[in-house]
Amino acid sequence: MILLESHNVIIYTTLAEKAAKPSSLDVVFVDFDGVRFHMSTLEKKTVIQLSMSIRCWDELAQYGALDILKREYGSLIKAATEPEYNVTLQIDLEQLPVDVESREAIIKSVALIKRNVLGAPFETAFREQKELEDSAGSRGQFMQIHYRDEEAIYIRAASDRVTVIFSTVFREETDRIFGKLFLQEFVDARRPGIQNAPPSIQNAPQVLYSNRDPPLEIRDLPGLRHSEDIGYVTFVLSPRHFAKSDASFNTISHIQLFRDYLHYHIKCCKAYMHSRMRHRVSEFQKVLNRAKMETATTERKTVTGRTMVSR
Amino acid sequence: MSLLAPIICDNGTGFSKIGFAGNSDPSFVFPTAIATRGGPTAQSARGGPPIPAKPGNLASKRGIEDLDFFIGDEALANSKTPGYGVHYPIRHGMIENWDHMERYWEQTIFKYLRAEPEDHYFLLTEPPLNPPENREQTAEIFFESFNIKGLYIAVQAVLALAASWSSNRVTDRTLTGTVIDSGDGVTHVIPCAEGYVIGSAIKHIPIAGRDITQFVLNLMRERGEMTTVPPEDQLKVASKVKEDYSYVCQDIVKEFRKYDVEPYKYFERYDGESSVTRRFMSSQKYALDIGYERFLAPEIFFNPEIYSSDFLTPLPEIVDDVIQSSPIDVRRGLYKNIVLSGGSTMFQHFGQRLKRDLRQLVDRRLEASVISSRSTQKSSGVEVEVISHKRQRYAVWFGGSLLASLPEFYNFCHTKAQYDEIGPSICRRYHIFGSAT
Amino acid sequence: MSNSLRPYLSAVRSTLTAALTLQNFSSQVVERHNKPEVEARGSKEVLLNSLTISRNESERVLIEPSINSIRMSIKIKQADEIENILCHKFTRFMMQRAENFIVLRRKPVPGYDISFLITNVHSETMLKHKIVDFIIQFMEEVDKEISEMKLTLNARARTVAESYLMAFDS
Repeated sequence: MILLESHNVIIYTTLAEKAAKPSSLDVVFVDFDGVRFHMSTLEKKTVIQLSMSIRCWDELAQYGALDILKREYGSLIKAATEPEYNVTLQIDLEQLPVDVESREAIIKSVALIKRNVLGAPFETAFREQKELEDSAGSRGQFMQIHYRDEEAIYIRAASDRVTVIFSTVFREETDRIFGKLFLQEFVDARRPGIQNAPPSIQNAPQVLYSNRDPPLEIRDLPGLRHSEDIGYVTFVLSPRHFAKSDASFNTISHIQLFRDYLHYHIKCCKAYMHSRMRHRVSEFQKVLNRAKMETATTERKTVTGRTMVSR
Repeated sequence: MSLLAPIICDNGTGFSKIGFAGNSDPSFVFPTAIATRGGPTAQSARGGPPIPAKPGNLASKRGIEDLDFFIGDEALANSKTPGYGVHYPIRHGMIENWDHMERYWEQTIFKYLRAEPEDHYFLLTEPPLNPPENREQTAEIFFESFNIKGLYIAVQAVLALAASWSSNRVTDRTLTGTVIDSGDGVTHVIPCAEGYVIGSAIKHIPIAGRDITQFVLNLMRERGEMTTVPPEDQLKVASKVKEDYSYVCQDIVKEFRKYDVEPYKYFERYDGESSVTRRFMSSQKYALDIGYERFLAPEIFFNPEIYSSDFLTPLPEIVDDVIQSSPIDVRRGLYKNIVLSGGSTMFQHFGQRLKRDLRQLVDRRLEASVISSRSTQKSSGVEVEVISHKRQRYAVWFGGSLLASLPEFYNFCHTKAQYDEIGPSICRRYHIFGSAT
Repeated sequence: MSNSLRPYLSAVRSTLTAALTLQNFSSQVVERHNKPEVEARGSKEVLLNSLTISRNESERVLIEPSINSIRMSIKIKQADEIENILCHKFTRFMMQRAENFIVLRRKPVPGYDISFLITNVHSETMLKHKIVDFIIQFMEEVDKEISEMKLTLNARARTVAESYLMAFDS
């Protein structure tokens, strides 16, 4: 598995299972970036309520998350949101369409709820870019999404591009160094002149990376930290990444998992290093074992011919 | 973000139970299997890092061959794919192949749980008598590879005891008791005192779920019921019969008579459909009668001689032995709190039967001691209680979920900071939830 | 193998072989104790002069002999912070398993990356030249391993970045 998936496996499997065979349910679970879910049945076994809590809900709502929810889920949205959660969907299993494909489509779209909510500012930015291009304006609104405790996404549309900046914090020294190496590769991967780089990579968004110092776009923001463990990654999305609706869908799903993707691979990398080291250490062990003298194990017997057994 | 629920991982020999604290059931239950490239023997024998494969499709790109694997059900589904070999990283409850296990966890966390491990506390389980080195290795993986917030490794038997707190028959929340843990491969009888396992008294019984299924299959073949069932489905049918129709009887002779007098009342009918659709034959249907298997299947715990010829001690006797070889001051507590855990203890009336048989053993011994000592004083008797509860099937996982949702769980964990300070040896010791009330 | 590595290793090998002349020696301070004198440092007369063999400023070996034990510490080449972290990880991983490597010290001597402690018991129960072989082979391979690890790390990072960026195109 190289790329992470966008949908939540637990929502997907649970809904599919309950649609086939309703039973009462009450589970809590999570998704990346501190998203919490609560899935439960209330009075009836066939009515499932799914609530989601997301850290940066207020910011997302400001950037049009509600409209997206209405567009995607329409009548499924429950007016009274469960306390401690931000969004509540209510899914009546009896009202799901009968044919397999459209049922599957609904379940899949519910499983994408986190992606859809977090996609709101991106959609807004893409729309703004279009408007700016037509009206020849210079800059769109500046959006900040504090999706984790110490990390944030900044998005701004311009007439010919949309800039997405991630701030990333590495809590550990190893991660920081690995992360720096990885991010440098993100920057370099697109650079021309690298041997046997796949040609399609030239179409990817441009990536910039700066350690410690925030890029120009957000330099004036108050409350930015200037420390060694913080880095800023800038993606410059050009209209070709979001002009068509399916390209835009793909880009949104993809870019919002950037941080998780990066951290996932740093961890995989460490796991790989572990297996390498395990192998190497066992090789060394073999070399050292060669130094051990073979202790002569002769059978010792008593005078009557019985064997001495050490207990 | 301490609001995020701790993750409970119970990796067993056959199945892994994975989910979040506070839930009553694990979110995922799938086989502890991993399908990797390079065949089942080629790689594990050397244990070395995979050799870079030929360039080709995206999955086998340079340097990341180790990401090309499947776990759980997907692993089994891919076992037939050329180039993949299925491995089981856990043997007899203990982790054997750390490379595979590390990658197994990696995918569990990122693909299935979709959790950022840096934000979560983890509760893992270990079998009784797990060497401390294994704990250290586990801690090394979780803290260094995954940077988790905090870790607690609990002994499975203790969690099974904690799970029994959900039963309404348990009044005091004690961690003293005898755990009978019967899964697919092996059955353990484990005495625990105040949250500590009494290692010297543990006993294993080589009869578990797999054997019961085999026994049912043998019985049904003997009666000629299986003739209509296609061979590839026979084992499945047998395990279905075991799970859905079996129960423990109180008296085997009476039960036989009951069936002979009124077969129509007790014989059940099972309708199945062939899972393999053969050419020229659209799905083949079959039906069979289920008879004595219903009560004989679990009977092999109580009368092992009907199934095996080399293991002959009935379960109640083993339990009695285990308690008798434990320190004398905890024996009362052990008799009073016998807890069942695992899928193979799910038979109806299993608990009652065990309690009755054990009671007889204990009473007989008390009588014998009264006679032999010629004393006029009489013992007040020993209380024997077997606890069955609703969460028995995933008792270990549920116990973990229960403990991890207590507020003091966080104090019992070793945190990343402590690990960085002291190193893996920190995991040799864990606080016991003994005082938790 | 670069030209300076061979003489470096052969110098270490001959020094180590010469230093490995150990004998049983009871503690002079505490009755019925027998401690590696190089660690206990109880009295001066049983300690011999320590010796450093340097290949360059970043690679060197310190050999501290005494009557019943020698301590040998290695400083491994670390060119940049990645090699630094990999070296640190690797030595720590190995020292974590010091139980199996009988002659390995659980902690390195300050200023070095990894230390070995060989006592007279080791040299009596194990073949002396094989112990030396082991240490020399370790020195040879640890450099190789670290630079290999660095290369794979780079390759991985490249692949990961490419896979991510290419997915924008699909």
